[in-house]
Amino acid sequence: MNNQLQAIAGLNRVIHEPGRLMIVALLAVVKECDFLYLLHETEMNKGNLSSHLTRLEEAGYVEVEKTYRGKVPQTLLRLTRAGQTAFEAYRKKLKTAF
Amino acid sequence: MKSDLRDYMDRPKRYDNIDGTNEMFMGMMLLAFSLAGYLEAGLPENSSRWMHGLVVFGVLIPVLGFGYWSRRVIKAHFTWPRTGYAAYPRRGGKSWWVGIAAVVLIGAITAAGFACLAAFARRHKVMSIPQMAILASYIGVYALWVFFMGKKDPWKWLVVVFMAFGLLAIAFTVPTDSIGPSNPAVLFAGLVWLGSGVATLCTYLRHTRLSNPETE
Repeated sequence: MNNQLQAIAGLNRVIHEPGRLMIVALLAVVKECDFLYLLHETEMNKGNLSSHLTRLEEAGYVEVEKTYRGKVPQTLLRLTRAGQTAFEAYRKKLKTAF
Repeated sequence: MKSDLRDYMDRPKRYDNIDGTNEMFMGMMLLAFSLAGYLEAGLPENSSRWMHGLVVFGVLIPVLGFGYWSRRVIKAHFTWPRTGYAAYPRRGGKSWWVGIAAVVLIGAITAAGFACLAAFARRHKVMSIPQMAILASYIGVYALWVFFMGKKDPWKWLVVVFMAFGLLAIAFTVPTDSIGPSNPAVLFAGLVWLGSGVATLCTYLRHTRLSNPETE
């Protein structure tokens, strides 16, 4: 196996999935955002987005906070330190691979 | 793929002005400067420096306060319920260097354009070099803004052209008296920024709907 294939094989599978990559890439550049913002930017449906977020939360990459904006429920999302580190490592490996 | 990812990561930066509020704030700021300039020019010649300072800050602080407040109101009542809330983008070390390099490059191009215009102005005795520099900077700043933040709105390049022609028209028609051509120019640039922001907000409101938060 050559170096490029090795680098591709070593990519973080949790982040490498396109839907989750979109979410993590957006969360990496904001302090925090809400569910609606991700829905708008990723153009996924609510079910898909929700399941990807659950997967990222289970991996410890995303922190979810249920709160209210006035009387309206709001789901705030942040990338954890582990998520930030994993994403940076993923980008480095991606650069090596391509 | 790398550039796609980079472009994707620039989205939150552009999202900050999806509703045109940043442009409107910039417009209000320029209008406040213009108004303060006109009021200051209307003061008696022997008025103290305190009086000048009072006029400038007496106009700037309320207008900027109103601009900040109205930006928050638009975000809270229109933007966040429609397309979501995102806190101010994080700044990466690398993007700072890219930004600075871009500013230096565009600054150099603007300076070259300005040098040509200044030579023309000197020959025809139209206006001073500092005044030319100020006019060129208005166009340069707006063009930079469109380049970085207005990728989804190509019509804004027409606004850049409109602003350039408008400022040149002001420069060649307004006489250089005690107020000088800088105040009408600030007023015009402020109105263009404000108009561009309002147009962005109208487009945004037309293309988005309130979402139902209960199903999150």
